[in-house]
Amino acid sequence: MTKTFQITISGQVQGVGFRPFVYGLANEFQLKGSICNNQDGVLIHINSSKAKATAFLAAILIKAPKISIIQSHFISETTFKNHDDFKIIPSGTNHQINTPLTPDFAICESCKSEIRDVNNRRFGYAFTTCTNCGPRYAVTTKFPFERSNTTVSAFAMCNNCKTEYANPYDRRFHSQTNSCEGCGIKLKLSAADGKLITTDSSEIIKKVSELILLGNIIALKNTNGYMLCCDANNKEAIERLRKKKQRPTKPFALLYPSIEKIKTEFEINKFEEQALTSSVGPIVVLNPKESLQDLEKESIAPGLNQLGIMLPSSALLSLLIDEVKIPLIATSGNMHGSPIISMETDSIEKLSKVADYFLHHDLVISFPQDDSVVRFAGEQQIILRRSRGLAPNYLKASFSSNERMIAMGAHLKSTLGFAPNTNTYISPYFGNLDTYDVLTRYQESIAKYIALFQTQPDVVLIDSHPQYQSSILGLELAAKWNAKLISIQHHKAHFTSVLGEHGLFESKEKILGIIWDGTGLGDDNAIWGGEFFTYENKKIERLTHFEYVDWMAADKMAKEPRLSLISILPKSERELIKPKFSETEWKIYNKMLENNNLKTSSVGRLFDAVASLLDIIDKATYEGEAAMLLENMAKNYKGNDFIDFLVDVDFEYVPVKTLISSIQKAKSEGISTSRIANSFIYTLALIILKIAKQNAYKTIACSGGVFQNSILVEKLSQLSQKQGIKSKFNRILSSNDENISFGQLCYYHHIKN
Amino acid sequence: LGHGSGGVLTNKLLDSGVFDLLSNEILDERHDGAFIELNGKTAFSTDSFLVSPIFFPGGNIGELAINGTINDLAMCGATPKYLSLSFIIEEGLPVKEFWDILVAIKFACEKAGVQVVTGDTKVVEKGKGDKIFINTSGVGPIHPRANISAKNIAIGDKIIISGNIASHGMAIMSVREGLEFDSEIESDTTNLNHSIIKLIEEFGESIHLLTDPTRGGVATVLKEIAQSSEIGIDLSQRDFPIDEQVASACELLGLDPLYVANEGLFIAFVSASKADALLAVLQQDENGKNARIIGRVVEEHPKQVIMESNIGGKRVISMLPGEQLPRIC
Ligand SMILES: [Fe+3]
Ligand SMILES: [Mg+2]
Ligand SMILES: [Zn+2]
Ligand SMILES: [Zn+2]
Repeated sequence: MTKTFQITISGQVQGVGFRPFVYGLANEFQLKGSICNNQDGVLIHINSSKAKATAFLAAILIKAPKISIIQSHFISETTFKNHDDFKIIPSGTNHQINTPLTPDFAICESCKSEIRDVNNRRFGYAFTTCTNCGPRYAVTTKFPFERSNTTVSAFAMCNNCKTEYANPYDRRFHSQTNSCEGCGIKLKLSAADGKLITTDSSEIIKKVSELILLGNIIALKNTNGYMLCCDANNKEAIERLRKKKQRPTKPFALLYPSIEKIKTEFEINKFEEQALTSSVGPIVVLNPKESLQDLEKESIAPGLNQLGIMLPSSALLSLLIDEVKIPLIATSGNMHGSPIISMETDSIEKLSKVADYFLHHDLVISFPQDDSVVRFAGEQQIILRRSRGLAPNYLKASFSSNERMIAMGAHLKSTLGFAPNTNTYISPYFGNLDTYDVLTRYQESIAKYIALFQTQPDVVLIDSHPQYQSSILGLELAAKWNAKLISIQHHKAHFTSVLGEHGLFESKEKILGIIWDGTGLGDDNAIWGGEFFTYENKKIERLTHFEYVDWMAADKMAKEPRLSLISILPKSERELIKPKFSETEWKIYNKMLENNNLKTSSVGRLFDAVASLLDIIDKATYEGEAAMLLENMAKNYKGNDFIDFLVDVDFEYVPVKTLISSIQKAKSEGISTSRIANSFIYTLALIILKIAKQNAYKTIACSGGVFQNSILVEKLSQLSQKQGIKSKFNRILSSNDENISFGQLCYYHHIKN
Repeated sequence: LGHGSGGVLTNKLLDSGVFDLLSNEILDERHDGAFIELNGKTAFSTDSFLVSPIFFPGGNIGELAINGTINDLAMCGATPKYLSLSFIIEEGLPVKEFWDILVAIKFACEKAGVQVVTGDTKVVEKGKGDKIFINTSGVGPIHPRANISAKNIAIGDKIIISGNIASHGMAIMSVREGLEFDSEIESDTTNLNHSIIKLIEEFGESIHLLTDPTRGGVATVLKEIAQSSEIGIDLSQRDFPIDEQVASACELLGLDPLYVANEGLFIAFVSASKADALLAVLQQDENGKNARIIGRVVEEHPKQVIMESNIGGKRVISMLPGEQLPRIC
């Protein structure tokens, strides 16, 4: 007997071609009914027998679009209603919004072949998208994901596009970002002085390509914000870009023409290939093959053997790279330390000193994002920066409660965590909140999220460091909103972020938390960063930590690895490193160490000290430089003869001074720098296992910026597996301070200390 | 200073010459209180001084206590006239040191043209104090042309600083921590009243606000003003006057000179049309040789202080109560 069934599906199901997919499936099943987006996801009504309805739901779950993610589904019988056919009903206004924000998707293969096909009507069209690809979050202005709720609505579809949009058998059936050369987004090429060069789309890509090959720097507006590009084989252009962007040594990412070219030039495993060609389309950090000669490696990534590589994420980049055919430098369009630029006026004001030419277009970007960056330790993905394609959904956690929460994150790699309903949103990272433009974007994003969800938080979560801009702002907002304000210790938030990612809060057995990073304010007012916690029964206790050493010279210590070295190296051996300092510095710093009160357990600073001791770097120009160079050095060691620098040493607190003395001794014995660097990381992994075994832990959970080190992650995974210990790392989020906002949400929701 | 009940020691001390040294008609009355005559609008201010060490390059706690209150009065547009002076002395302070402080006080008063008209001395047991604490209060008539109030600050006002920043704090720190820089850094403590009155004479109500960036430095003072007056302030790092030696000492220690204390410095918010003229006059003054325009009041970003750095980025200036704790990972 025919009844009416209602199916609700929630998850990432809007803006991913879900309704057209269900429409097609309903026709295959010869079902009448309707589908619409609603506040929870999609809502389907069908007239059918019970058996057929169940089979239909099963088919939906199996065949759902690749870029969709189904979190839950529900089927029930409802009041009978007659349907003449199967309809897609446009969304009405929602009372309460409870859906994920769909992320941006990299251009799909079908669209790529269309823009390359002279006979296709989208040949050469730079904003070609379909239900499987294109910007989403970047162009979102409102819920749910309908054309009228995006900035693409500024462009009215032509008749051809309308026909596609209405045709259930077309890939662009209900494709909200649909447009073509005839009705769509217009490109504009101009010189740095503002002089218009051309708006003729048939020649514009060719022209840009010529300019690049002549050594020019181009500011190009992609669908997620401006990007600066130049020829990756042109040393002079790269050096000029470095100088003008005030970015002396931090590595640049490269845009490659094809996966085939990447495979011929880089060592690449199948996980890396999958990531590169995925709908996320991140930058993947890869090892070049020995044979790779023509790139200006030393200018692209000074002192590093690895390069960040990506494939074109949009039709525009795809057309450009097809035309130039060589790898391009592709770096965010901003001044060093400022957020990525997305507005034409802004780009001209801020980038005209950097770029020689500008490629603008007239699609408004409402949420600008950098490209995401990932790397792999074996098959384990390590997220270095979570942004385009990955943010802002966090689909694995739900804080369904009556309280709507906002988590303010940390300071330097700040992100916002927002739990306004049963979904969780973790914003892309913003950057250093001391920078005015970054703080402004952070504040604007708070306002945008509140407008988007039409709800104001009841709870504001901040870091316990009172001088973080995020803490200062959180305090103000809590007062303004009359919301509850809770401050959470930095490393405990790191710990709960990894517990939350793996759903470990209900664990029956105790879990060892290993939280290592550069700095965070501890409960005892020392600067923590080498912490061992225990989690049990919803409580977190500090088990032990790295031995305290002196923190000197405020933020300067984090910028000069030699300061970590002078602080950590035992006084009796200090004379050895005198040449790293001027007479005055030597006198002053020795004196400062006598009277110092501020202490630290930071493992980030230990990495700095080792890098300085091994004469790899004494003064850094970008954050994390010493750790990266040290890891790079460690990778040069191809042997298997690792040294345990703490062999036979028993300890309550990890004895860093003993450790560094032992490294100094190895150095004086002439052991190679790469072997020492590798052995240092090996020793750190052993320390973790020793503490885990001594205290009978079966699960360890690691977080903090130090765990972006792929050698450490790989060694630790292998060694712990051998000993029957489960090791957990951040997977969906970065292990650095980008995960603090998520950790704050988890801590508030789960921990009952 | 040795043992004995507070009373005896105090009297003995005073008898032994405090009165003689600071002698003036009103003080010489030796009455319970001072008889003074004041007409019209008057400013009244008080402050306590607890600096360690009490002697430092460029001065000592004595003149600091006098100049501090004098400058607070000057910031109100007043001519400081009469001061009260109270000591809380910890047992064991060498008499010689006390006299040195007293002499410094005398000279500071003479230079500023003020009189100490009443005072008090208490001696506390060892461990109950830190060598010597001084409290001063002061009064003085407000200049008829002065109209100093945060309410007068207007969009477009220029912000002028009278001299090099961060000298006092670095001088104190170098002695306290025993840090020997290439050459000695001296405190900038001095009285600013003459310089201020000269500016008020000439520019009157064009001076909207005066403030001395003492504890917490220039950053803290400006952030406080921006917040309480709900104005935006734009600063330019390039324009900040700072002694090279002080700058490199700050750099060495990882300190931001914007947060380091000053003593002989003032900041003026001046209407844009008069700023250049006022700066020219100030630069002729001995306390204003290094004066500079460092910023302006803007309509954008109310309550925020933004500094354009030497390399072009814009930094948010916040209040950092207490020690600068590291935030960089
Ligand atoms: Fe951290
Ligand atoms: Mg004062
Ligand atoms: Zn597509
Ligand atoms: Zn069209």
